[in-house]
Amino acid sequence: MILDAWFIIGAIVGLTSTVVCVVAAVMKKKPNDVTLLALIAVELFIVAYAIGSIIRLANGEPLAGEPWEFWGYMFTAAALPVAGFYWAMMERTHWSNYVMSAVGVTVVVMLARMAQIWYGTGLSAQAAPALESLQQGLGI
Amino acid sequence: MSTPNTAKKETPTGRTSGPGRLLITVYGVFAISATARALLQIATKFDEAPVAYTLSAFAAIVYIVATVSLAKPGAKWATVATVAICIELLGVLVVGALSLVDPAAFQHASVWSKFGQGYGYIPLLLPIIGLIWLYRHREAK
Repeated sequence: MILDAWFIIGAIVGLTSTVVCVVAAVMKKKPNDVTLLALIAVELFIVAYAIGSIIRLANGEPLAGEPWEFWGYMFTAAALPVAGFYWAMMERTHWSNYVMSAVGVTVVVMLARMAQIWYGTGLSAQAAPALESLQQGLGI
Repeated sequence: MSTPNTAKKETPTGRTSGPGRLLITVYGVFAISATARALLQIATKFDEAPVAYTLSAFAAIVYIVATVSLAKPGAKWATVATVAICIELLGVLVVGALSLVDPAAFQHASVWSKFGQGYGYIPLLLPIIGLIWLYRHREAK
């Protein structure tokens, strides 16, 4: 996969969100404004990425993989912070922060897969062995 | 009127509370990703590796059942969860071992190939943690 600015920024936002939530959980804090903002940051990034991707496509940039697969990932990634928030708030303890911490890192893994789809280094059966092992290393 | 049953459900330290909710979250993520991946594989390239992709679908169903049963309170759902997670553990051990012994037969990746290496070995750890969790929160009969 190709490390573009979208992925790097997304990885920073997602991993920071995870770290913030884990630290709050370790400190036995209940979800507060800080961890909620960490979740919102992930959601805002996905929205920005979606808008950015639409603009890139409109400008004629090619999407190498299947569009519905790319947008399927995008939609799921956008739903994750909402689902994570809802699931965390149903029982508001410091464990909720661990639940919310799972959102950021999951979105980063999905962003890696989306970058693969965009640039066309997907999970094809004909992929070179080196590429396969790279994807294994990425955890996808 | 209060019954012992409702009182039990409201205990905050139960199977579906606290750390249990994190466990359900991780299972939920795996259920979603395994289902999406299996549907994609079956929809687009089922002919390439019917066995591997059927296995993917089977794994997805196991994860869905495990997620739902872990989230539902009550002894019956605990039993369902235990069975589902035992199948999951068996699956990751058998597929993991076979994929190392006979890599040619498992060229097409599934969640359980190489003991879940592609997913950071979480598929191997998850059922073990799940069974420990269920054992520690088993209900006295």
